[in-house]
Amino acid sequence: MFSKLILNNSRQSRRENGLFFSSMLASVIAFYMILSLSRQDVMIFLTQMESDAVEKLLSMIPVFYSMTLFLLFFLIFYASKYQLERRRHEFGVCLILGMSRIRLFSMLLAEDLSSSIFSLSIGLPAGLLLSELVSLVTARLVGIGIVGHQFSLSWQAVLWTAAGFLLTKSMAFLILSGRISRQEIDALLSDTPEGAKKQMPSFLYGVSLLTGILCLTSAYGTAICGTAWTGLHSMGRTLLLGTLGTFLLFYGLRFPLGFLIKAVKNDRQLHIFNIRQIQEAVIRRSGTLALCSLLILAALCCFGAGVGIFRSYEESELHVLDYTFPNSENEKDAETIRQILTAHELDTRFSDLFEIEVGHIRTAGHAEHPFETEPILAALGDLPPSNARDILLNNLGYADYPYLISLDSYNRLLDAAGLPELTADTGEAFVYMDREFVDSERTELMNQILETFPETRLDDTSIRLAGPLQTTDLVTDRSLTLSFALILPEEAFSHYTQGNYEVYVNGILEKDLVEDAGLMSAISDTNQILADTGLSFESYLQNMGRQLFYMVAASYLTVYLAIIFLIIANTVIGVQFLMSQQKAARRYRTLIRLGASCPVLCRSARKQINWYFGLPLAVAACGSLFGVRALFTGLLSSGARNGMSEMIIVSTSMILALCVVEYMYIAAVRRSSDRYLLGLMVPEREE
Amino acid sequence: MKPVLKIESLKKYYGKSKTRTRALNGMTFQVMPGEFLGIMGSSGSGKSTLLNCIATVTRPDGGTITMNDRPIHTLKGKALSDYRGKEIGYLFQNFELLDHLTGRENILLPLSLHGVPEKESRERLEELSSYLEVKDVLHKFPSQMSGGQKQRIAAARALILKPGLILADEPTGALDSKNAKTLMEKLSGLNQKEHATILMVTHDSNAASYCKRILFIQDGVIFHELRRDLPTETWQEFYTRILKVMAQLGGGSANVL
Repeated sequence: MFSKLILNNSRQSRRENGLFFSSMLASVIAFYMILSLSRQDVMIFLTQMESDAVEKLLSMIPVFYSMTLFLLFFLIFYASKYQLERRRHEFGVCLILGMSRIRLFSMLLAEDLSSSIFSLSIGLPAGLLLSELVSLVTARLVGIGIVGHQFSLSWQAVLWTAAGFLLTKSMAFLILSGRISRQEIDALLSDTPEGAKKQMPSFLYGVSLLTGILCLTSAYGTAICGTAWTGLHSMGRTLLLGTLGTFLLFYGLRFPLGFLIKAVKNDRQLHIFNIRQIQEAVIRRSGTLALCSLLILAALCCFGAGVGIFRSYEESELHVLDYTFPNSENEKDAETIRQILTAHELDTRFSDLFEIEVGHIRTAGHAEHPFETEPILAALGDLPPSNARDILLNNLGYADYPYLISLDSYNRLLDAAGLPELTADTGEAFVYMDREFVDSERTELMNQILETFPETRLDDTSIRLAGPLQTTDLVTDRSLTLSFALILPEEAFSHYTQGNYEVYVNGILEKDLVEDAGLMSAISDTNQILADTGLSFESYLQNMGRQLFYMVAASYLTVYLAIIFLIIANTVIGVQFLMSQQKAARRYRTLIRLGASCPVLCRSARKQINWYFGLPLAVAACGSLFGVRALFTGLLSSGARNGMSEMIIVSTSMILALCVVEYMYIAAVRRSSDRYLLGLMVPEREE
Repeated sequence: MKPVLKIESLKKYYGKSKTRTRALNGMTFQVMPGEFLGIMGSSGSGKSTLLNCIATVTRPDGGTITMNDRPIHTLKGKALSDYRGKEIGYLFQNFELLDHLTGRENILLPLSLHGVPEKESRERLEELSSYLEVKDVLHKFPSQMSGGQKQRIAAARALILKPGLILADEPTGALDSKNAKTLMEKLSGLNQKEHATILMVTHDSNAASYCKRILFIQDGVIFHELRRDLPTETWQEFYTRILKVMAQLGGGSANVL
């Protein structure tokens, strides 16, 4: 009988508070997904090449996990409080009928446990399924073969998810039920008023609002201009200012709301009643609203920045080469490399193999500055001042001993990349700068100068520099990164290098091979065969692995945090609204007595819900526009900041997408509120 | 003269056949315009059920309630809301003021609910607040008012839309004797000057003595009726008569009738 009562009560709670229950499910799913990250195909694959970085990422997961558990505790605490408050009268009746407090406590504990087990029994399989799906989709997207995919249930993740979830729920429950079961019966049977509100002089609220805005402006200002990122101290100050600003802003919000009430000339459809309800919510719960707003802001920033970073790595480099065999010591010349590859039947795997010749100026003897940079620096100095110009001036100041690249070999590279070949006359050179050292703005400045064909001197011989600036990667990864080089026609190249240069053999994999197995698998397989040849090589896999790692790390962690923050903030707001609505039941009954119809009440409640969600959301959305910008300033390298405006557009659209999620939450709360008000319309007094 | 409210054979039963309680067992009476009618009865006599039926909070099981020639059980939707808000004004024992609205906002709440422009009632608000002596507390929240002020604000709210009938459910129940006296004098004054029609349920014979007519009910039917003999009968004489009836019919406040 007792266990039946427990099961019924727990089922009833789930039905009555679907919003909270769904949030619990989503948390379980998110927990499992983050904890089973190490079992994802992409992660297993990355461990092979970026093991240090992967280890670092995985070692950070427990930190994220604990942090979210801590936040989840508040969500569970609020929502459980709401559920228990609703049943105060029932508990009072149970006690008056002779149920012992211990039995009441154990009944509540059993109910809570039954609900938790139910959440886990649905959430864990759903999490497992979703994580498998994500694993398959990401593997397919990045081109790892999915043939070898194995169903991977991470028992460790299951255990930690269950343990963390149960622990958080039990802690919140113990505090709340302990509080309830200690109360006197008459206190349980009577409605608890929320207590009189303390009114402060209104100028104090005005000052608080103003100070809040000032704090927020200063916090965003320092974050966007970059000073916040210079050290831990300044970052801490910015965060403190931002948090304090948000709390003060919400505390001061009753000031403009008071004005809003005074401004109402014609009170239609309970307009003043609605604003007073909101004002009361702001007065009573400004701290919670501010906290929720901060959580939504954090979620929006995480999402925006995650997507932005993902995009920046995705688009950062043009992929042409799959392999580079460095040959700097001339131990094996290009021909030998080809022979070795043929001997191992590897030549068939490559559609193209060609050399890149790079060397130093050998004719200048001990001259310290064989290349005259003054004409370029002078031309740059004539351009209007800008940040990009200053960086170029600084970098080119050290370019007086440049690398030389053979034009013929560079043309092979351009050909492979599908770009038009370059032709140079005698006494002419193209300028090369690696993509890592120039962004679109700097490239444009360089091209402006090169359009004028500046005359300079290389080892006392006049030379004319030509454009456009060349930036195509010379090798597949990082064995050669040149900040400044000159591309010289064959004759000049041989002359200046005196035939003493380094050769890098670049290889491009056969198209069919890549299409059949996916790029990652094709490279992976080839690497295994190459390992037997004794050749030293670097493959695009390292490059890709690095990018992939950042993409996965950024997207996984940021999306995970965003989801958790959103769930917590929205559920707290929603549950708090419903809780305050129930506390205001008497007001609604009075309104019904005064002739309020159900549609009028529902409309009024909907307006309040819009405000209740809208206030923290609007503050967070405004903040996120600056917040995402600040994150980009602080987190992205200068190279990755090229497409800043595009990334901001991407982030904005993500924020809009999140607003849709918010709308769904609002719709759910509206439904609950309508149902509740409809229940109030039924005559309450049946003697 | 046509009655404002006509109640005929009103029945309301609670519970199933064996344990049925007859809260109203075929009650019939009329309320004439400008009348101040009191309903007295012991707990469970059916007086609150009667008020709830008139206020459309409870649906009767039989009989009819006709308000200005309109049977109220036919009212639905907007007409029902208008009836609750405009045709009757309700005065609660516990005031039922919304504690987060100021006095003025509470009084003007029915206007907001029924879409009446505020300027139309501005004069009425002035008039009522001066008469009920609540001008000083219009800007205050209920938590900053005394019990008497709260009930007078509630009275102003009930009267703001000039309803045809004011239903008062133990309006002095939560007030001390001084505030109760002030409220009753104000209600009585409204009845005399503005010819406001008031139907009041009360336990308090002192409050009942301000009425022009009193119906004593027991077990869902009218048991006795007292009429004040105006203008010759004084307030004290009527009060003594009420006490005498109460003494004859069982006596003491434990059994009012």
